[in-house]
Amino acid sequence: MNQAIHEPAVDTALQQFRDMMAADGYLLSWYTVDDTSVTVKIDATADACADCLVPKPVMEAIMNQALAKTPYRLNDVILPASEH
Amino acid sequence: MNGTELLLDPTGLDGSADESFLAPRPVSLRGLTLGLLDNTKPNATQLLNEIAALLQEKHGVATAKLYTKDYFGTPVKDELLRQVVDEVDIVVTAVGDCGSCSAATVADGILLERAGIPTVSIVSDSFNMSGRAMASVQGFPGFDFHAVPHPVASLDGEQIRERAEQALPQILRILGVES
Repeated sequence: MNQAIHEPAVDTALQQFRDMMAADGYLLSWYTVDDTSVTVKIDATADACADCLVPKPVMEAIMNQALAKTPYRLNDVILPASEH
Repeated sequence: MNGTELLLDPTGLDGSADESFLAPRPVSLRGLTLGLLDNTKPNATQLLNEIAALLQEKHGVATAKLYTKDYFGTPVKDELLRQVVDEVDIVVTAVGDCGSCSAATVADGILLERAGIPTVSIVSDSFNMSGRAMASVQGFPGFDFHAVPHPVASLDGEQIRERAEQALPQILRILGVES
């Protein structure tokens, strides 16, 4: 079951990436999939630059590196619908 | 239409993706031809032209040639890459001031280095993380590029000139020549 939990370590680990995504008009959120993994979700705001979204392999590289400092690993990245 | 479409890999990965070495550095910039690889983002041309002017005026670069990508979000296409490699000695490419374009700007630098051309990729510091991640994805985690303060797109001419002047020492360092 997916859980929206408060996990400061994950918030802290992803904060810099959240700020970077916000600069292109995207919102980052995440939820735990189980005790060891999280799924990251990217949503577009009305101001999002559609062509500016970081390529998924690069996104995964950033988040894997960031989450390495936490007890969690990346399960998946869910992109805005238009990017699937 | 035959129903096929061309899919571009946003990472620019190819068979050389495990090569993590720099092109040989010049002893000096005197007499060299500088390539400016413009990714079409706002103020990229202006920033590159200011950098070229400084390198010509202060460091003896002979000529500068401007090349323009057709899309900022993916690495340079092979045809343009080959043209740049054939025609110049060193390259500065800019400006990675968004997620996709910062990644692509770093990928361009790595592709050019692997083709033997010393290259400086310029991103904005808000997207340093994206550039660094692309370098890792490319198998070149230590690739050295320069981050200028964000933003770039909204700057006026004088501010662009200041960005270029501030960036010059790092550009020279990455190219391997003394400032």
